[in-house]
Amino acid sequence: MRKIEIVLAIIVVFITIGTVLGVYGIERYRRSQLYDAVLTARAPENGNWYPQKIIVSYGEDIKIYIRNIDTVSHGFALPDFEVAANEIKAGDIEIIEFTANKKGTFPFMCTVWCAERHLEMRGEIIVE
Amino acid sequence: MAKDKLFGLIDINWRFELTRFKLIRSLFKSRWFPLTIILVNLFLFVIILLAGLLGGFSPGNFNFGVMMVWILWWVLLMFVLVPVFSRIWCMMCPFPIFGDWIQRRRLLMVAEGKLGGLNKKWPKKLRNMWVMNIGFLMTTFFSGFFTIKPLATFILLGSIILIAFLLGIIFEKRSFCLYVCPVSGFQGLYSQFSTAEIRRKNFDICKKHKPKTCFVGDKKGYGCPWLVTPFSFKKNTYCGMCLECFKSCPYDNMAFNIRPPGVDLLVKEKRGLDEAWKSFIMLGIAIVFFMTMQGPWGFLKDMVRMTTWQGWLTFISAHSLISLVVMPGIFLLFSYFSRLLSGNKEISVRNIFINFSYTLIPMGLGVWIAFSFGIILPNGSYILHILSDPFGWGWNLIGTAGFPWTPIWTNLMGYFQGATLVIFYLFSVAYGYRISKQTYPKTEEAIRGWIPILCFLTLIVIVFLWLYLG
Repeated sequence: MRKIEIVLAIIVVFITIGTVLGVYGIERYRRSQLYDAVLTARAPENGNWYPQKIIVSYGEDIKIYIRNIDTVSHGFALPDFEVAANEIKAGDIEIIEFTANKKGTFPFMCTVWCAERHLEMRGEIIVE
Repeated sequence: MAKDKLFGLIDINWRFELTRFKLIRSLFKSRWFPLTIILVNLFLFVIILLAGLLGGFSPGNFNFGVMMVWILWWVLLMFVLVPVFSRIWCMMCPFPIFGDWIQRRRLLMVAEGKLGGLNKKWPKKLRNMWVMNIGFLMTTFFSGFFTIKPLATFILLGSIILIAFLLGIIFEKRSFCLYVCPVSGFQGLYSQFSTAEIRRKNFDICKKHKPKTCFVGDKKGYGCPWLVTPFSFKKNTYCGMCLECFKSCPYDNMAFNIRPPGVDLLVKEKRGLDEAWKSFIMLGIAIVFFMTMQGPWGFLKDMVRMTTWQGWLTFISAHSLISLVVMPGIFLLFSYFSRLLSGNKEISVRNIFINFSYTLIPMGLGVWIAFSFGIILPNGSYILHILSDPFGWGWNLIGTAGFPWTPIWTNLMGYFQGATLVIFYLFSVAYGYRISKQTYPKTEEAIRGWIPILCFLTLIVIVFLWLYLG
């Protein structure tokens, strides 16, 4: 009977901690295989872009996964590489692709009026 | 003696025992049931909590936590679980599993000797619904956040689970479930209307059986964790359907019955002001929830969502006043008129107030079922999305992540709500008159005394019809 209790205890640990670790692990692996960077869009009042600096390697094909966790729409533009996303609605995801064919620091910004401090919603992509 | 038939159709004393079927009885006697379902729900709630935490301030309609709790689970509770199966959610609720584990030092088998934890007795003065009443009311102060911000759902559920665990260590058995859990309060109240019950079968068997293992426990089952006496209890209010009594009874003398709806309302024992106030609180919350969530008044939504502190404080003050003072106050007036009209001056207004408050139970349940139509029909389609993409990470587990928002039968919603309100109003009327005959000794007093209460019920249903149907 003790064996059953031990097995059940392991099941409970698996269901609780195991699920959390499993979900994080799967998503981390998925993103590492699919994307070079994960960008969270939030209005400046709620924390701004996260991260605000993204470092990528020169010459690589870059995929950025943008997730809007706000309750308003955001946009995205990286003018120096001529890439942009239209409106990213609240809760939605957008994938941006470009080739990092020049070195330097390049600004990206939100292109949909989202909040009072919308103009502060900026970040940098550093190609080195 | 003539049978008392509800609406002239169903004998109020009719019961159909489901556990007469060997398969169901075996299931109920197995220690694996309901543990297996509890573990499944534990997994679901881990996902809910994780989605809530990860969802942060993102929109609730794309969040597994918000959608599963406030759309699916809530609607299931109101539509099916409580009105049909009484407190069956409590049977499979994962919240107390860790507290139970500490107490029993076991997940499955029955431990011998004293239970673990401090095993303190819950304070006598609080062995009622008052803590749950105030707790549930205070929870609704933040209703503007729970259904919108996943993090708010995480904080609420996480707090409940933590409190359940801590109280499970400190107090005996399921004290948390009995006296604190916010879900427990309305389940206990509305389960009195339910079409299911657990009761002992043969009184003589219980009378001769010593010790009463359904209450003290034996090798096969724990003594009732809900601190009720399975051999004698008469109302669903505090029976959490944990099924321990099925396992611990050596005579198979416990039964799971299907029965006509509302029969517990006629049980005179243990009627109290706490349950009366719970009825008013639930009605008051229904009015406020409808006005703030489904009504056209934008300024109310701003108040609920704490756009300004002043607005929110006004909201919680008005909300508390309606539920705790205004509605009971109006009902008190009608109770007073009931006594006046009955001509009987010997029965206290207090007794009249308490007894007739139970007529609000069917009405209240109907109000909440009607409200739930307004939740599920416009928003139910989001559930397909979140089943595929529970964390808003771009997953597509079952291929429905792109399923568009699709309101269902919203053009008929008013009819569903109206019909529900009327049906449950009729149940209130049916039981109300019976309660009047219990309250007043003479039939003519009961008829006269019933009229003001009937007027109150009619007023309430008109108010809700106006609110819901416009």
